[in-house]
Amino acid sequence: MSVTAHDEATEKSPRASVPGGALLGRMSILTAVGVGLIATIAAHYAAVAFFVEPVLPEGTDPPAALAYLLENRIALTTMFGWVVGFMIGIGALNGPFRWLLGQDLTDEDLLFQAGKDQGVKRYFRFTTDHKVVGIQYLVITMILLGAGGTLAMLIRTDLMTPETKFLGPATYNTIVGMHGIIMIIATIVMVTGPFGNFILPIMIGARDMAFPRLNALSFWLLASVVPVLLTVPFLGGMPTGWSAYNPLADQAPPGMDAFVVTIIVFAISSAVAGANITTTAVKMRTHGMTWTRTPIFVFGVVASVGLAIPVFPAFMASQVFSGLDRAGGLTFYDPSGGGSGWLYANLFWLMGHPEVYVILIPALAALLELTPVFTRRPLFSFKAAVIAIAGIVGLSVLVWAHHMYVSGWAPKLGGPFMLTTEMISIPTGLLFLVFIGTMWRGRVWTRLPMMAVYMMLWNFVIGGITGVYLSDIPVATGLHGSMFVTAHFHYTLMGAALTGTMGALVYWFPKMTGRMFDERIGGWGFWIAQIGFNVTFIGMFMVGFAGQPRRVFNYSSVFATGNFVSTMGAYTIGIGMLVFLYAIISSWRSGQVAPANPWGGKTLEWQVPTPVPLENFDVLPVITADPYGYGRQPAPKPTAGART
Amino acid sequence: MSDTLVEPVEEAPAPEPRWWQRPETKSIFWLWLTLTIVGLCFSWVPAWLLGGSASDQMRDIEQTMTIFTAAAAPVAALVWAVIIYSLVKWRYKGDSPPPDDAPGFDTNVPTVVIWVIGSAVLTLFVFVWGLIKIADIPSAGGVAALPAGSAIPIEVQVTGQQWVWNFTYPGLGGIQSDQLYLPVDHPVTFEVTSNDVTHSFWIVQMGVKVDANPGAVTSTVVNPTTIGTFDIRCAELCGILHAAMQTQAKVVSDKDFAAWTAQMKATAPAPLPSDEGGG
Repeated sequence: MSVTAHDEATEKSPRASVPGGALLGRMSILTAVGVGLIATIAAHYAAVAFFVEPVLPEGTDPPAALAYLLENRIALTTMFGWVVGFMIGIGALNGPFRWLLGQDLTDEDLLFQAGKDQGVKRYFRFTTDHKVVGIQYLVITMILLGAGGTLAMLIRTDLMTPETKFLGPATYNTIVGMHGIIMIIATIVMVTGPFGNFILPIMIGARDMAFPRLNALSFWLLASVVPVLLTVPFLGGMPTGWSAYNPLADQAPPGMDAFVVTIIVFAISSAVAGANITTTAVKMRTHGMTWTRTPIFVFGVVASVGLAIPVFPAFMASQVFSGLDRAGGLTFYDPSGGGSGWLYANLFWLMGHPEVYVILIPALAALLELTPVFTRRPLFSFKAAVIAIAGIVGLSVLVWAHHMYVSGWAPKLGGPFMLTTEMISIPTGLLFLVFIGTMWRGRVWTRLPMMAVYMMLWNFVIGGITGVYLSDIPVATGLHGSMFVTAHFHYTLMGAALTGTMGALVYWFPKMTGRMFDERIGGWGFWIAQIGFNVTFIGMFMVGFAGQPRRVFNYSSVFATGNFVSTMGAYTIGIGMLVFLYAIISSWRSGQVAPANPWGGKTLEWQVPTPVPLENFDVLPVITADPYGYGRQPAPKPTAGART
Repeated sequence: MSDTLVEPVEEAPAPEPRWWQRPETKSIFWLWLTLTIVGLCFSWVPAWLLGGSASDQMRDIEQTMTIFTAAAAPVAALVWAVIIYSLVKWRYKGDSPPPDDAPGFDTNVPTVVIWVIGSAVLTLFVFVWGLIKIADIPSAGGVAALPAGSAIPIEVQVTGQQWVWNFTYPGLGGIQSDQLYLPVDHPVTFEVTSNDVTHSFWIVQMGVKVDANPGAVTSTVVNPTTIGTFDIRCAELCGILHAAMQTQAKVVSDKDFAAWTAQMKATAPAPLPSDEGGG
């Protein structure tokens, strides 16, 4: 991408180092935890004092229902107390408080808030610099993936043979649900969080996000709610899995309330992040960056967070209703009070299916971004890629009831939902063409990020085709609710999306950390994980075909072989991921120092120095060409063959 | 079947009008053909893994799996052929970026158009196939096409509750059982509901699956074709003992069914104790 100096010198001038920050200088994660704990205790006692006599619906068994409603009211209040206290303690409300006093943050305060001259401390504060937020998201993603992966190891160990069940049924269900929701949250943020925040603003030639404080807010909301989620096992667990179906969730212990709070706060966090990233990408692209000169990764991230904006509120609403049923004695989902489990299922899947594209699209877009760099070819059919992403986003909100084919809700809509679901394979197939078209006659530089492209294509072919099986109602009638479904979506979310994220991490690692990723050790980890991954889920496909239900702590001995294969594969994934994690940590601490542009990339993030200075650009760049001009520079040379 | 499906994708990756003259096109074609044939040879595997059928619906499912796998073989083979070839033949090894760029063409409209049309045709085929097949599945909106002249279906009321299944035969004096007994080659309608949370009634080898919802009745039909014992499981997470919520479906001859009915009427005229939670 050609970069020339922007003529009108912008207002930026070197500023003297200033203390700034005022109260913010004393706030960090420590004060957040402190204030959070105080607020938790205060909210708990307030709830105990205030909620004495819940009003009961007619005909309920008074003592049991009373205790139940009271318990949930106290739990919900206490948890929201923690979240509010934590956010006050981290300094998220300093700005609004100052506005109440008729003041605003000074220039110095803003610089302080952006993390100027604070070293490592800035990562533990309400810091607005998008690069800090990106690193924060990267770390929290890795923590969540580690926690979810550990739970996966427990699940697979429990299922190793028909006799190995060492977890009780209640513990097992809680672990399955925790694995699910932790991984869902981790994978939703794993690309748009670290790379969407760190890389995207540089990529479009911006000094920061459109709303830096909202950026920090979105991260710290997520951080505040992770401890809440982790209390689920200590509050009786959740028997429902992460889908939290009602009316089952209605009879669950207060662990379910922690889930409710987590989802509500996470939905706010993602709405804030979505509004911020979308605005940034639409309004803050530098001079000359028309939409056709905007890197495809930007489209992928905007598609993801933009899709989350309309769909996550459905999930939030589903949990608000769930909380009201549990704590208020209402009956949104209780048939005896006129409610319906189908209402929950609809709300949940209105989010639940678009959500898989919220996860998948940015990971694929990151790989689309790096494929031209490693094949030294222009992205094949950029416009087709954009249309494909838009097509997936558009269709994804019209397919939710394919999760409800056998539910009995609106059987007459089976055909229409089958059509919309299967139509998604057209834009998805188009993305495959973009990938293999970009590889076509390329100079394929076989570094680790490019290997992620190959493994994504391998895995996503399997994940996609098994998805077509499941989209067809006859097959879904046989396989719905079986391990086949589990294997299918792990092939897409893990085989495609997580593989893509690993590639993206290796690709942008030099820019984000200033050091090269150790591809020798990391490569071992990557390949071990990939082999283990395919072994695990091929085994799971087998038992799914044979009729093993999902989410069972125990199974018939006819499924023994496939489950044993799965468990061995899962351990292999675990080993591979640990090796990969070691490569991340050791490279980050003591890897080879990275040059500014190790891959010869043409997008803007490779044109700024490493480490990237605060506010990224001294002078904002002007864009004069698209970022994929490989093979046609300095001037497009007329080569034989079809051209448009 | 697969011949008609193969053609659109066969030409798809061609970047230039004279694509057939390029060496990589020929190599990739043969690689693709080999992988496709391998895929077609193994397309019976999914149906085989399903483990036998005990009803027409299940045979439909097996058939669909096989057809879809065969249809998917050339598509998967194409992607894999290109990536395998590119990894072997277009590879550049080195520590720094390749000094020279690859050809700079950035799209090829005929390829994109053929690709989209090809995938649309495949999608249409899959959709129409599904529509034809769901005609047999009432729970999915189809109208059960019972064989002409077949007997009036036996009605079985299926009630799920944590964590057992209960079967009531209202046409047979309201006998109740926790195992499902069915006469072979005799259509059955299931009226499915739940006493507590959402369950899913699944007779594995018959391809029958419909949710048991509290406060609602869902129905489906099956015509068991094979004498034997089959698995009934719950396919919707319903609480801590979800895994244990299983029983058996015994498909027996008419004579044995009559004997079982008589025995049930004689021994258990009153509702079973397990009915206490239900209405």
